Amino acid sequence: MNGRSFSGKRYRKWVMPVLLLAILAEAAALVCGVRLGSLGKSFISGFSFLAGAIPPDWGAFPELLRPALESVVIALTGTLVGTLVSLLFGLAAASNISPAWLKQTTRLLLGMERSLPEIVILLFLVAAFGLGPFAGVLALTIGCVGMLGKLIGDAIEEIDPVTVESIQAVGAGKLQVMVFGIVQQIIPSVISFALFRFELSIRLSIVLGAVGAGGIGLELYRSFYLLDYHRACSALIVTLVMVLATERLSAFLRKKVRKEGALR
Amino acid sequence: MIEVRNISKRLPDGRKVLDNISFSVGKGEFVGILGASGAGKTLTLRCLNGLLKPDSGAILMKDASGQVQDICKVSRIRLRKLRQKIGVIFQGYHLVKRLTALDNVLIGRLGQISTFRSLFYGFTDEEAEMASQALEQVKIPQLAGTRVNSLSGGEMQRVAIARAIFQSPNLLLADEPISNLDPSNAKVIMKLIRPLSEFMPVIGVFHQPEMTARYCTRVIAIKEGRIIYDGDPKLSQDQLIDIYGEELRQIENARP
Repeated sequence: MNGRSFSGKRYRKWVMPVLLLAILAEAAALVCGVRLGSLGKSFISGFSFLAGAIPPDWGAFPELLRPALESVVIALTGTLVGTLVSLLFGLAAASNISPAWLKQTTRLLLGMERSLPEIVILLFLVAAFGLGPFAGVLALTIGCVGMLGKLIGDAIEEIDPVTVESIQAVGAGKLQVMVFGIVQQIIPSVISFALFRFELSIRLSIVLGAVGAGGIGLELYRSFYLLDYHRACSALIVTLVMVLATERLSAFLRKKVRKEGALR
Repeated sequence: MIEVRNISKRLPDGRKVLDNISFSVGKGEFVGILGASGAGKTLTLRCLNGLLKPDSGAILMKDASGQVQDICKVSRIRLRKLRQKIGVIFQGYHLVKRLTALDNVLIGRLGQISTFRSLFYGFTDEEAEMASQALEQVKIPQLAGTRVNSLSGGEMQRVAIARAIFQSPNLLLADEPISNLDPSNAKVIMKLIRPLSEFMPVIGVFHQPEMTARYCTRVIAIKEGRIIYDGDPKLSQDQLIDIYGEELRQIENARP
């Protein structure tokens, strides 16, 4: 490195921003009342909590199975019902089969839904229907429709139009054309979308559980709340196994769908 | 018997793509429609089963009950009734890929059974038996249970023919049925289609004059939306140049 590298350009590019950032951080710390020393102390106490959580509460596992199953059922029901409803929304959102006004309205509705996080939807639903799995299932269903409705709509826009014509050409009715011409062509995509959404729903169902939908999320939240860290650790392990297992299963099934076109 | 009377069609941009087309085809005839790309062959064929409505003219054919109908003017429900008796073989392979060969053949009668029955796969054993016989007729009975997306092009086109046979139509239309096939498969398909003309008029669009000369009973040539030839399937070199344009002569001359 020679003397020329300490040029004005280098100074503007590196030294100034770093200095500014440091000043900004210090200012922010002052305003919020954070002190570097206490940060270090909390860091240690944070880790000591981890030590307090190990070993997990082995006895809690049997009683955690039921809430875990509940979470899976919430996610599964939400995804299943959501996928079926999405099919209708997808048909309405596809420009090649539905009139412009219907397509526009449906896409707008789906877009609006997607801009709301599931947790916000759940808060509304809990206010309307009370705490419990029903509100959770409904929130996941609505979230599923927002996502899959658009994806299925896009998939329908890309189907082979001549296959649809070939079904019309034998004198088939509207519903028959829809089922044999359109739905048959998108089934592999729909299955793949639904599996992907199921993975997402499982993870969401844990978060929603903590907010009031029940299931393993609630157990996790409650254990932390009661400072029962050993039990929280058990719930964490159950959650991890659950999420990993569904991801593996979903990946396996999606690969099968891709390879064979569909499950049979 | 199908009669086409003076049909014309303009595109939205004002270009006339069909100009006063008239012809009639009876049982026992296998008519090949020839013409350069964009001449109006496929459009004519699409008019014949009501996928496209001409601006003027009439297309007369008998429906299932023997009454003469104009397919350009019938209601939606009547159109469905007419289509039940029109078999169509499309260019390329537009079968329902996820279903088996047998299911695809059964689709031929979708219009003839109730919606409720079809949605729950309510085809009877007799119908399934007839569909397998149709597959036997096109010499692929062993593929009945195979899913269509694993068949070859020639096999898929045979399934399409079997579907048309099972439909037991009064008229068979074929839109470039051999365009995507190798020469030997193309011959097989032509050999399968020709005997069907004993029972119904068969009208096909082709790009292979040597094939129509060999298998068709009559050729209609279309150029710029008008019929410029209607008669014997064996065309002279000059007639072919008339149909396909001067470029053909240059190509022929360039041959050693």
